[in-house]
Amino acid sequence: MSVIQIFEGREGHIQRKDGTDGASALSCSNESLAGAVSQRACVYSGARVVLNPLADALHLVHGPIGCAAYTWDIRGASSSGPDLYRTSFSTDMKELDVVFGGEKKLFRALRELVAQYHPPAVFVYSTCIVGVIGDDLRAVCKTATQELGIPVIPVRSEGFKGNKNEGYKAACQALMDLMEVGEPSDSEPGPRSVNLLGEYNVAGDLWRVKPLLEEMGLEVVAAFTGDGRVRELQRAPKARLNLVQCSGSMTHLAKMMEEKYGIPYRRISFFGLSDISQAMRTAAKFFGLEAKAEEIILRETTRVKPAIEGHRSRLEGKKAAIYMGGAAKAVSLVRGFEELGMEVVIIGTQTGDRDDYKKISCIVKDGTVIIDDANPLELRELLIKQKADLLVAGVKERFLSYKLGIAFCDFNHDRTTSFEGFDGMVTFAREVDLSINSPVWKLPVERPSPAAWSVDARSKQNVSSGEAGANV
Amino acid sequence: MSESYSVVNPCHMCMPMGSVLAFRGIADCMPLFHGSQGCATYMRLYLAHHFREPVDIASSALSEKGAVYGGAANLKKGLKNLMTGYSPKAIGVATTCLAETIGDDVAQIIREFRQEEPSARDLPIIHVSTPSYSGSHEEGYAKTLQAIVQALAVRGPPGDRINLILGSVISPADVRYLKELLQDWGCDGIVVPDISETFDGPRSERFSRIPEGGTPLADVVDMARSREILTLGGRFQTPSAGGYLEEAFGVPHRALPLPIGLDNTDLFIGEVERLTGLGLPRKYDLERGRLLDTVVDVHKYLAEVRAAVFGDTEIALGVTKLLCEVGAIPAIVATGSNSSDFVEAVKVISPRSRVLNGVDFSDIHAEIKKVGVDVLVGSSNGRQISKKEKIPLVRVGLPNSDRVGVGRQLILGYEGAGRLLDALTNVLLDVGSIY
Repeated sequence: MSVIQIFEGREGHIQRKDGTDGASALSCSNESLAGAVSQRACVYSGARVVLNPLADALHLVHGPIGCAAYTWDIRGASSSGPDLYRTSFSTDMKELDVVFGGEKKLFRALRELVAQYHPPAVFVYSTCIVGVIGDDLRAVCKTATQELGIPVIPVRSEGFKGNKNEGYKAACQALMDLMEVGEPSDSEPGPRSVNLLGEYNVAGDLWRVKPLLEEMGLEVVAAFTGDGRVRELQRAPKARLNLVQCSGSMTHLAKMMEEKYGIPYRRISFFGLSDISQAMRTAAKFFGLEAKAEEIILRETTRVKPAIEGHRSRLEGKKAAIYMGGAAKAVSLVRGFEELGMEVVIIGTQTGDRDDYKKISCIVKDGTVIIDDANPLELRELLIKQKADLLVAGVKERFLSYKLGIAFCDFNHDRTTSFEGFDGMVTFAREVDLSINSPVWKLPVERPSPAAWSVDARSKQNVSSGEAGANV
Repeated sequence: MSESYSVVNPCHMCMPMGSVLAFRGIADCMPLFHGSQGCATYMRLYLAHHFREPVDIASSALSEKGAVYGGAANLKKGLKNLMTGYSPKAIGVATTCLAETIGDDVAQIIREFRQEEPSARDLPIIHVSTPSYSGSHEEGYAKTLQAIVQALAVRGPPGDRINLILGSVISPADVRYLKELLQDWGCDGIVVPDISETFDGPRSERFSRIPEGGTPLADVVDMARSREILTLGGRFQTPSAGGYLEEAFGVPHRALPLPIGLDNTDLFIGEVERLTGLGLPRKYDLERGRLLDTVVDVHKYLAEVRAAVFGDTEIALGVTKLLCEVGAIPAIVATGSNSSDFVEAVKVISPRSRVLNGVDFSDIHAEIKKVGVDVLVGSSNGRQISKKEKIPLVRVGLPNSDRVGVGRQLILGYEGAGRLLDALTNVLLDVGSIY
């Protein structure tokens, strides 16, 4: 029997872990159900998320205005220098372009924009209608590369050709293309050099992690793609190790780089005390820097522990729901909540695959509901049913949570606070603490009736509606 | 503007966005985009940032197969699931560029769906064609309003109600203000579309799947027999829902500017007075008096203050008028929509303004650098210019993604004008450009 029943055809995507091996058979990796209000976006969105933090590149959307308008500067990836990535470029295709093709317009747009902005590289994203009318992006980009003298790289991100995962792959391919045309650099990466894959520097995450790795003696050649620069990324093929954080988006690239450049990769996460420590140990082991790593881990853990313990004392036993785009973040969050003494009661992702859900099923406790490609109605039912005290998700889910009277933490690319590294975990614990234990949840949602206006009755009312808040 | 092949930082959105803002103003109506899943998700995200409310938009989630063989199966399945999940009293189907480009006959698919699905027989399913490669969100909004009345309004014995069509996207607070005004007047009015609750829902124990509020369907049906129609805003877009009702049912229709500023509000109030035959309730007389007091209070602060106004056509026009009323200078008036009528209208109000039509934010930025301004008034998408040029931005209109309070922001009527002038003056006092 399914956990909740709203839409026919969704039963297999929702399971409760019950000690058997059920969740490994969770339905996933298929098309979203029409009419069900999936939280997923499109192929273009996946590609854009991955490439956008490349700060000095020019990101040109070949399509109608919407695709560019809704992705203009809405993500929290930070740059320490150039901010061209915060500018939205579109060919703004019109009827005539749809009828007669948009290749000429695209070429002229490229010429005009490169002349004006002098970027070191351009990414050209294709959108739904480009895929339908059949503009030859590859050919236009090739000609433009020759004429303009900089890499102009097509991104095969026609919105309807799969889900976000396809977009990740398209972006990885574009990154390979970019590395392929890199010119030799004056300074070769040293023997202890790493690339960070799937590190997007949201709210400055990278800046909390990079110093730790550097202190260990590592050289961070390039982050893909947080605070990224075209020239930096082009040096990446010479690094010795790839550390892959957001595996959903970047495993594909890691594999291609391994094959092409012989760079091995390791999966890591920089979120949570145990995961960041594990990440450092993984890198240390590869380069033989174990002692140094342990020294830093001990020092940092000792330093941040008291602050985290303080928050933990107010969070112990609270119930968390996780709904993420990718599975890697979701898995890391389970461990993060463990460190705060919290219990995970719902865990779901937009784009997890069979292996991801197997892994998730292994690390969560019995009774946890696992959900693939959720929608607002299912999330609402589950949040109530599982008596969640907190939802960790993105902006679309935030207001659903609030309306239900449930605390919320934004762990998506829109967030403005950095959660990675040792200090990031303190920030995370604090944010979760401040939302869960906020007095706003204790305010009476129903106005007390006049009969209840004696002092005793009123204080009772406050307490009970505070509890009811999560059970609306 | 010189001919350009690209848009840099768009000052307009696509048609489907406008359609949601209209559909969500109808009670128990659920919007569905026929197209790729991403469109619905992106616009949900955009609107969630703006309104800080849950925004559910369904999608037919077309995939490659749908794009090749047509999207009929997905659309029908989407409609069916939407009915199961949300039990809507109406469904608004807006097309995206994908559905338009593959050439789906959406009207026909809906007809088939009705035949195949007995439970959908009496359910209004309103279809509007809104390809992203044509027009802007303003046209999408206008087209959808027209589609709604076309689908629902039914001829009947002439009634006595007054019909207010909100021809431009305004805030929930603005809609509430207009509704209250009619009520205070004792006037039985129909306000369409009504997003005052659907995009600004109170927290309550009752949290329904489709947000409560919106114009009741019965009221939309009744529009064909209303005594008279006033459309506020939306004069620069076609089609016009009010124009349609006038033509199809002979209901007298008048289009007015949005009541922003003293003169525009006087014009609107005068119309309501004429229609009801009743004088202005004292409450609004007092409000008007307070606005006049406010303009005097701030006139020296705002005198010759140079502003760049940008955003949707009618809001930009109304703000321009208000600025002129207090002696400020709307040095630049810009919109991302394309309308030569808009240019003419601005010239009438403020002949010396630089009017930019169909532009993006890079054009607006260049113009600001050229002529210099003290303050920006428009959507939060002006924030990059504000930061780079260190010019304060007063956020008005859609989107406002980086400040709170959209649902409460009132700019219409005497009260709204006063509040906007307060905000303008205070932001200039904050940065110290006036004393």
